[in-house]
Amino acid sequence: MSEPLLSIRGLRAKVEGEDAEILRGVDLDLQRGEVHALMGPNGSGKSTLAKVIAGHPAYEVTAGEILFEGEDVLELEPDERSRAGIFLAFQYPAEIPGVSIANFLRTAVNSRLDEGEEMDVFGFQRTLAEKMEMLKMDPGFATRYVNDGFSGGEKKRNEILQMAVLRPALGVLDETDSGLDIDALKVVARGVNRLSEADEALGVLLITHYKRILNYIQPDIVHVMMAGRIAESGGASLADKLEAEGYDWLQQTAAV
Amino acid sequence: MSTMTAGPAESTLAAADFDTLAGGLTEPEAIAVARAAAWERFTALPWPTKKSEEWRYTDLTKVGFEALTPVVPATATAEALSADVREVLGRSGERAGVVVLREGRVAHLELEPEVARSGVVLCSIRDAADRHPEVLRRALFEVQPGPAEEKLWALHLALLGGGYFLHVPRGVEMPAPIHAFHIVERAGTLSSAHSFVYGESGARASVIDEFLSDDLDAETVSLHGATITGEGGAGIEYVALQRFGRGVKRFSTQHVAAGRDSRIVTFNVTLGGDLARTDVTSRLDGPGSDSEMLALWFGDSDQHFDHHTLQHHAAPHAHSDLLFKGALTDSGSSVFRGLIRVDKGAQLTDAYQTNRNLLLSEGSHASALPNLEIEADDVRCSHGATIGQVEDGQLFYLMSRGLTRRQAERLLVFGFFDEVLGRLPMEGVRARVREAIEEKIGL
Ligand SMILES: Nc1ncnc2c1ncn2[C@@H]1O[C@H](COP(=O)(O)OP(=O)(O)O)[C@@H](O)[C@H]1O
Ligand SMILES: [Mg+2]
Repeated sequence: MSEPLLSIRGLRAKVEGEDAEILRGVDLDLQRGEVHALMGPNGSGKSTLAKVIAGHPAYEVTAGEILFEGEDVLELEPDERSRAGIFLAFQYPAEIPGVSIANFLRTAVNSRLDEGEEMDVFGFQRTLAEKMEMLKMDPGFATRYVNDGFSGGEKKRNEILQMAVLRPALGVLDETDSGLDIDALKVVARGVNRLSEADEALGVLLITHYKRILNYIQPDIVHVMMAGRIAESGGASLADKLEAEGYDWLQQTAAV
Repeated sequence: MSTMTAGPAESTLAAADFDTLAGGLTEPEAIAVARAAAWERFTALPWPTKKSEEWRYTDLTKVGFEALTPVVPATATAEALSADVREVLGRSGERAGVVVLREGRVAHLELEPEVARSGVVLCSIRDAADRHPEVLRRALFEVQPGPAEEKLWALHLALLGGGYFLHVPRGVEMPAPIHAFHIVERAGTLSSAHSFVYGESGARASVIDEFLSDDLDAETVSLHGATITGEGGAGIEYVALQRFGRGVKRFSTQHVAAGRDSRIVTFNVTLGGDLARTDVTSRLDGPGSDSEMLALWFGDSDQHFDHHTLQHHAAPHAHSDLLFKGALTDSGSSVFRGLIRVDKGAQLTDAYQTNRNLLLSEGSHASALPNLEIEADDVRCSHGATIGQVEDGQLFYLMSRGLTRRQAERLLVFGFFDEVLGRLPMEGVRARVREAIEEKIGL
């Protein structure tokens, strides 16, 4: 078997400057083209894992490694990880007043060009318009300030829009489903599926609380995170069991 | 190529005597007398030191005024537009007129014939001195600066001869802005130019003053003054876009007088030079008048930008709103010192003053000193200042999309500036200012 797209080994992390570990030895392999769901109760460390993968400076990795396409990314800056192909759809995206979505994305696309390479401005505008249409976004959206005054649903759509324009190799979607009504959820799920169809090697780590989104995006593997570790992994049916029985039956496993 | 018709005496300021300086100028008695008096005041006054509140953060004694060569502009000339000016104009949309000044001397002046037919006058200050000496004398020589500003103001007036005069008659609405280019080419000089903008009642005018030079290899000083006057119901927009090269130190003193129900917007954008000092005074003379004072700056390397403002409410029922935003990196430094003064009779005043600073580096430094002086009792005033850094959450978000730290910071500066840019009424002017800022900041 070829090397995994993402391989996490014995990962431990804490908030910079504090003692308590949030991630307490995470192991996870995600192959190219796979969709993994990461579930687990509030506070178990899912968002922390997502942010550590993306290189958030607030966290310190104390042990373990993260290999992306076989390369250790822990020494890379967040922008280098992004340009290497890692994308994080934030649970709580930042608001950037004064900067329009179009301007922001143009700069992001520009940052991927080689020295001296010219951006195809019309191509960019066409792509942006196309992806916005796919996500059923109003064309006027591109001129709005990034996440400034957006509803919860608009923010989530905006995250997927960015993923669609930037075409990463790995998408980590942190609770992209929360706060969406069922219609919006379908639109976003269809958007993600279209990206998977367009790029069969696209890997997705889908962090969620609820089984709901898994009805629209089929996971290959479901993991459950408890207290900073992967407590259980299984097929799609694991999500049904969690829905029916909750997380209590896993408490013992996690404590050991 | 020399198009000067009467060259100035090539001596240093220290060695200059006024007769040589002003020799060759023929001007009306009233102006000549006032100018000579200004020179006398200049020579009599000591240079202000850092002991005065106004010059606490900018050490004037470190500027080598005495060694500079003063330039008193002679008669205006008519030369073709140079390539750099044409280039900017080509990208700046509609305009009603163009003025090009070199060390203050008007080198090119044009006004759309249709605008001229509506009664608008655009000419050099020298011509205005001949044609409207009284208007000019009152507007310039009767301005009473504060004691700490008097020395430089007197020098500005003594050297004056450069600059332009724009007069918009009653009820005339100019369809597009006047675009003026103040170009400094000669290193080691001391030159002075004045922007005179006058709108009669109901007039509408828009002016953009663009200040530019190459990087100069010797200390060079550019003095600038502006008097912007709106009679009843006039609407004036004045933009000063300063993008001098290194080596230049500039001092600009701007006086706004807002008549009854007039609305005057001033916008200072400071990007260039080694040292830039900008003083803006808005006097709300008429009830119902409205003054909007805006500024943006971006300082890098060891640039130092110093801003002093006064919102002087002399009439009741007037409104003033100041928003100054600056960003600094490297060892850049800036000062904002602002005062809202409300006279006893100025009831129902509405006055606001906000200064926000964004520091991108450890070595940069901003000082903010907002202040109020209120003698009326029925007013709404607020003032505030902040000095902060970019937010980590925003920085990480942008970087997680592939922007380098530098790109992310610069984009955040744009976002920070956008609120102020959005307040410029004229789209063409806004686009020009945005472009100049982009060029300075880089992305
Ligand atoms: N930046 C932070 N500062 C302090 N505590 C944090 C920080 N990030 C996460 N934590 C703590 O780590 C634990 C896991 O949080 P999180 O990763 O957000 O969980 P989840 O996404 O699974 O709900 C929580 O107890 C949370 O309070
Ligand atoms: Mg979370």
